[in-house]
Amino acid sequence: MRAFVKVLFRGSPSVAILLALRLASFASVDDAQSFALQAAEPYVKEGFQVREDYWGGDLGSGEKKAVRQQLFKGNEYWFWMGTEVERARISVHIYDSEGKLAEQADGWEKGHFAAAHIIPKSTGSYFIIVTIEESPEERTHWALVYGFR
Amino acid sequence: MIPIARYFKLSALVASGLTLCAYGAQTPQHIDVKQLSKKVEDVVVPLPNEVFGALNKLGSINWKEYVRSDKGSNFTERPRIALLLGTVIADGFIAVQAEDAPAVKEIGQRVQTLARGIGVERSITQHAKAITEAADKRKWESVRQELDRTQNSVQQAMNEVHDEKLSQLVSLGGWLRGTEVLTAVVTKHFSTEGAELLHQPDLLAYFQTRLQAMPEFNLPIIREIRGALDQVKPLIDVGNARISSESVKKISDITTRLDNGIVTRD
Repeated sequence: MRAFVKVLFRGSPSVAILLALRLASFASVDDAQSFALQAAEPYVKEGFQVREDYWGGDLGSGEKKAVRQQLFKGNEYWFWMGTEVERARISVHIYDSEGKLAEQADGWEKGHFAAAHIIPKSTGSYFIIVTIEESPEERTHWALVYGFR
Repeated sequence: MIPIARYFKLSALVASGLTLCAYGAQTPQHIDVKQLSKKVEDVVVPLPNEVFGALNKLGSINWKEYVRSDKGSNFTERPRIALLLGTVIADGFIAVQAEDAPAVKEIGQRVQTLARGIGVERSITQHAKAITEAADKRKWESVRQELDRTQNSVQQAMNEVHDEKLSQLVSLGGWLRGTEVLTAVVTKHFSTEGAELLHQPDLLAYFQTRLQAMPEFNLPIIREIRGALDQVKPLIDVGNARISSESVKKISDITTRLDNGIVTRD
């Protein structure tokens, strides 16, 4: 299969471009999830249990989405967001049930990865706001995973 | 669900390549929650071990008291099996807290039997095997992860065949069992911090909404759960007030009654 693709690409760069575009169109939330999980990896070594369940979807550039999550005082949480669109810029932030920013200062954004950290001061519902800040794509897949310890 | 470990192999670069951004200055300090409410996605239901982890930090708990490994009843109604499956997976997390390998292994087998009863056994066979192997080696973190994967795989398999309602009943069964144990622990050694862990009004509302959308599941246990959640709501939806020891005891009684209803035949 790999050899076939090489021959195909050598023979016709335009076919290669078309194929790449076609593959891009097959990208899915699962691909975005794999990047969110990549962002989570270093934290697993620090004792965070990463949930299998996740949120995902697609958004246009500049669009936001809120997800709601029950958090427990005593636990510490990280939320990791990812997209497969490498030239996209994304962000994630955490607010309490009254809409007040509730995250720690050590959250980060790096291109198509972003993360937010919270040590909840109280048990209850929190809003996680995910944003596609910029993207070359019309719609950008995103996924959000979380871990706790 | 795709196993997390597969992705972890891909990624040595992320941690080293990250530039921490001091982005707080640009982040709004406050948002209008009411404006957002229409765009809010459904909640992801926490696993029982999330609340058990928080509970553990408040003091040592004899988790062995709460381990249950009896096989319970067999049901033919799919909603009943789904509820029981969620409860049994929660029992798995309790057995992990207690580091009780024989109980974990029995629960792994029970999960497989129940999954067979609703036609999703194939999705979890490898996880059930992994649970047994990890329990034998007393690798508790691996067992926890496999239990999470089991629940996720079961629910994903249900969702794929448009059995989302059964999937929601799995979550509900797990939440009820987790809440039963949480309230039992807090009733025994009351603390306001322990009681605060019950402050889950949105999660309760989520389950109420989901149950209202299941009129076709006209079973006594489903009706009983619906009524019971109405009783629990005012006890935990207390705003900034504290949840009293009396409320914790009432919730404990209610969830114990429901759990008995879920695991035993009518």
